[in-house]
Amino acid sequence: MKRTDITENQETGTVKADRAIVALVCGLWLLLALFAWIKAPGSISLEERRTLAQRPALSVRSVLAGTFMDGFEEYAKDQFPARFGFRSLKASVRYHLLGYKDNNDIYIEDGIAAKLDYPLNDKSVQTALNRFQWLYDAYLEGTQTNVYAAVIPDKHYYLGARMDYPSMDYDRLFSMIEDGMPYAEYIDIADSLTIEDFYRTDIHWRQERLWDVAGRIGQALGTGIASPEAYVLTEADELLQGAYYGQSALRLIPDRVVYAENTATGYSRVFNVETDAFAPVYDVDKLSGRDPYDIYLSGAAALLVVENPEARTGRELVVFRDSFASSLVPLLLEAYSRVTLVDIRYIRSELVGEYVDFVDQDVLFIYNALLLNSANVLK
Amino acid sequence: MPCGQVDRGRYMLFSSITFLYYFLPVTLTVYFLTPKKRKNLVLLFASLLFYGWGEPKYVAIMLLSIAVQYAFGLIIEKHRHETQAKAWLAASVAFSLGLLGYFKYMDFFIANFNAVTGLSVPLLRISLPIGISFYTFQILSYTIDVYRGDVKAQRSLVKLATYIALFPQLIAGPIVRYADVAAALESRTHSVRRMRLGLGRLMIGLSKKVLIANSLGELCALFGETQNETVLFAWMYAAAFTLQIYFDFSGYSDMAIGLGRMLGFDYMENFNYPLVSKSITEFWRRWHISLGSWFRDYLYIPLGGNRVTNRRWLFNIFAVWMLTGLWHGAAWNFVLWGLLFAVFLVLEKFWIGQRLAAAPGILSHAYVLIIVGVSFVLFDAPSLTEAVRRLGLMAGAGGIPLTDTVSLYYLRSYAVTFLLAAIGSTPWPKHVAERLRTGRIGQRTLGLAEPVVAIVLLLAITAYLVDSSFNPFLYFRF
Repeated sequence: MKRTDITENQETGTVKADRAIVALVCGLWLLLALFAWIKAPGSISLEERRTLAQRPALSVRSVLAGTFMDGFEEYAKDQFPARFGFRSLKASVRYHLLGYKDNNDIYIEDGIAAKLDYPLNDKSVQTALNRFQWLYDAYLEGTQTNVYAAVIPDKHYYLGARMDYPSMDYDRLFSMIEDGMPYAEYIDIADSLTIEDFYRTDIHWRQERLWDVAGRIGQALGTGIASPEAYVLTEADELLQGAYYGQSALRLIPDRVVYAENTATGYSRVFNVETDAFAPVYDVDKLSGRDPYDIYLSGAAALLVVENPEARTGRELVVFRDSFASSLVPLLLEAYSRVTLVDIRYIRSELVGEYVDFVDQDVLFIYNALLLNSANVLK
Repeated sequence: MPCGQVDRGRYMLFSSITFLYYFLPVTLTVYFLTPKKRKNLVLLFASLLFYGWGEPKYVAIMLLSIAVQYAFGLIIEKHRHETQAKAWLAASVAFSLGLLGYFKYMDFFIANFNAVTGLSVPLLRISLPIGISFYTFQILSYTIDVYRGDVKAQRSLVKLATYIALFPQLIAGPIVRYADVAAALESRTHSVRRMRLGLGRLMIGLSKKVLIANSLGELCALFGETQNETVLFAWMYAAAFTLQIYFDFSGYSDMAIGLGRMLGFDYMENFNYPLVSKSITEFWRRWHISLGSWFRDYLYIPLGGNRVTNRRWLFNIFAVWMLTGLWHGAAWNFVLWGLLFAVFLVLEKFWIGQRLAAAPGILSHAYVLIIVGVSFVLFDAPSLTEAVRRLGLMAGAGGIPLTDTVSLYYLRSYAVTFLLAAIGSTPWPKHVAERLRTGRIGQRTLGLAEPVVAIVLLLAITAYLVDSSFNPFLYFRF
C-alpha cells in the first residue's frame, strides 16, 4: 500500500470515527431532549411526596417579570424523563463512586436509611416550646388535666450519632423540652428504643416493637397497657417503601407494616373532624395506597377522635402529636374511652378550643426530634 | 457562577436542563439548517434570547451599548488619521465605562462617599445586568483596536452584535477580541471534526462545573453554616473554594470554547493549569488569561508597562491590579485581593523571583497554593471582617480545636472529590491521554472509550442536574 493510501485511509478512518462519535453522543442527547419535550407531565412525585412543577403560563407579563423563566427550569427538572432513574444514577455515583457518606442528607448504614439533621436549632425548639406554652395557657391552666411530654428521638440518634456522623445535641434537646415545659411531667423514652425498632426505609418506628415505649408512657399516665400477648399481630402483604426509600433513590430492602389488634382496636372507631367521616383504627385500604403507614388511624389529619366503647376506664386522653403517635395510640387505647389526637401542623392552635373541651383529661405532648428541630410548621 | 459576578436574578446557565435539552438542541438544529449568509442572524437571535432569559429588560441595555459602539467604531475609523479620533475614542470608552460604572459600582461609590463624608445618600440598589463586565471589555477592545488600526470597523451591525452578544462567551468569558473572530464572522467552516472536538470540550466543561465545582461549592456552603469551627474545616474550605472557583470558571471557559468550536469560532484558551504554577507571576499567566491579557494590552502597556522607572512601574502594577480586583466585584475585599497579588508580583520581581525558580518544585508549588488559597478566602468573604475571621480560623485563632466529628466526617465524604479535583487541576490526565495516543493500541482504546466516556458524562451531568430540584417532604398532604 502506498503512503498516500495509508494516509488517506487514516484520514477516512478519522472522519468515520468523528461521524460515529458525533452521531452516538448527539443521538442520545437529542433523544433525551425529544422525550423531555413530548413526555406528558406528571402531577406528583411519590418518592419526594410532593407535587411536581408544571409548565408555567407563558404571557408577556410572566416573561417581563421573569416568573416564566424561573418556573420553566423547575418544570424542566421536575418533569425530566426517567427522573427517578437519573436520581438513582446520581445517588449511585455519589455513594459508590465518589465515596460520599450522604446524598441530600440521607445516609445508609447496614441497609438502614436515616436523615442527617444537625445542628440543634435552638430557635426552632424554642418556637415549639412557645407554642406548647400557648396551648397550656389557653386551654390547660386551671383545669384538672394532667400534662405529660415526651420526645421521640429520630433514627439518627440510634444510628449515625453513634458512628461519628454530625449530630444535633440530643441531650440538650431533651433537657430543653423537659425544662421548657415545667407544667408537664417529662417521660424519657429514649432508652426504650433501638435502631431495630424503626423501619429501614422510613422515618417512623415499628408498631410491633413499641411495647417498651408504650409501657413507659402507660406507666407515667398511670394506666398501664395491655400485655403484648393480648394482641394479634398481622403483617401486611404490601411492601412499605418508606419516605427515605424514595429520597435515597437507592435500592433498599423495603419494609412491611405490622399492626397489632385487640378488642379495643377492634371496637373503636376513628372520627375525622375535617372529613366528618368514621374509619377503623387500622384502615387496611391504605396499605395499597401511597403510604402504607397511613393504615394507622388513616394517616395525617388535623383532628381525630377515637371512641373506645370497650375501655377499661372512662378516662380521656388528648394527644398533641405528629405522625408517630398514629401507631402508638392504638397501644394506649385500652385504658381510655376517648382519645383525641390534635396535629397543630394542620390546625391552628387558636381553633383547637372549638373542638376540644379540656376538663380533666390526660394530655400528652409527643413529638419526634426532627419536627422539633424544624418547628416552624407548628401553627 | 465565575469570579465576582453577583448572581442577581435568574439567567440561563449552560449547566441547566433548559439550556442543554431545550435551548441548545433547537439552536444548533436551526443554525445548521440555516443558509450560510443567515447564520449570524440565527446566532444573534439565539444569543439575545439566551441573555433575555435572565433579565429581559437588560437586553435593551446591551443592544444600546452595541448600537452606540457600532456608530463609534465607524466614526473612529473614518477619522483615524485625525486628532478628533482620540476624542471619539474617549467618548466611546466613557460611554462603556459609564454604563459599567453605573450598574456595577454606583452603590459602592455611594456607600464609600457616605462613609467618608458622614452623609446618608440613599443607595440606588440597581441590579447588575449579567455579563456586563465581560461584554463591556469586549466592546472596549473593539473600539480601541479600531482606533489603533489593528482591525477594520465592522460595517454590519448584525455581525458586530453577534460578536458582542454571542452566547457561548457572553456571561462568563473568555473575553474575546474582535480581531480573533473577525474572519469567522465573515466566513467560517463547520465540520464533523469540529463538532466532535467541540462536543468533547463541552462535556469536559460541564463535568468540571456540575460534578466537581458544584460539589465543592456544597462544602463551602456547609462551612459557612457550621457552628463547628475547626482548623481542619477552615483549611478544607480554603482548598474547596480554590478548587471550586477553578473548576467553575475553567469549566465555563471549556464550555464556551466547545460551543464556539461547534459554531465555527475558535476562542483563546483561558486557563492553562494555573494551580501547577511555581510563582504568582506564572499563576497569572495561566489564570483567566483573557482578562490578564486585556489589562496588559489596554491598560498596563499604555501606562508604560515595565519600560519605565521602577517608581512608575510600581504605580502601573498597583493600578492595574487594583482595577483587576475591582473588575471582579464592587467591594473592598476584591480590591485587596487584587492588591495582594500586586504585592507578590513586586516581591517576586525584586527579591524572591530567582530564589523561587531555584527552589525545589514542591516548595514553590506550596508557596503558590497557600497564597492563592488565602487570596480566595479574601475573595469569597462577604466582608473584610469575615475574611479576617476566616483567615484567623485557618491559623487556629481563638483556640479552636484542630478537628472534630463534623470536620472529619466531611473530610471522609469529600476525600475522593478532593483527590479527583487535585489530579484534574494538573496536566497529568492530558499527558497520559497524549502518551496513549502515540501507540496504536492506545489510540484504538481511546477511540473506543471516547464516545462511552462522553455518554457516561452526559448521563451523569443530567442526573446531577435533575436531582438538584430534589425537595422532599416526609408526609403526603395534597
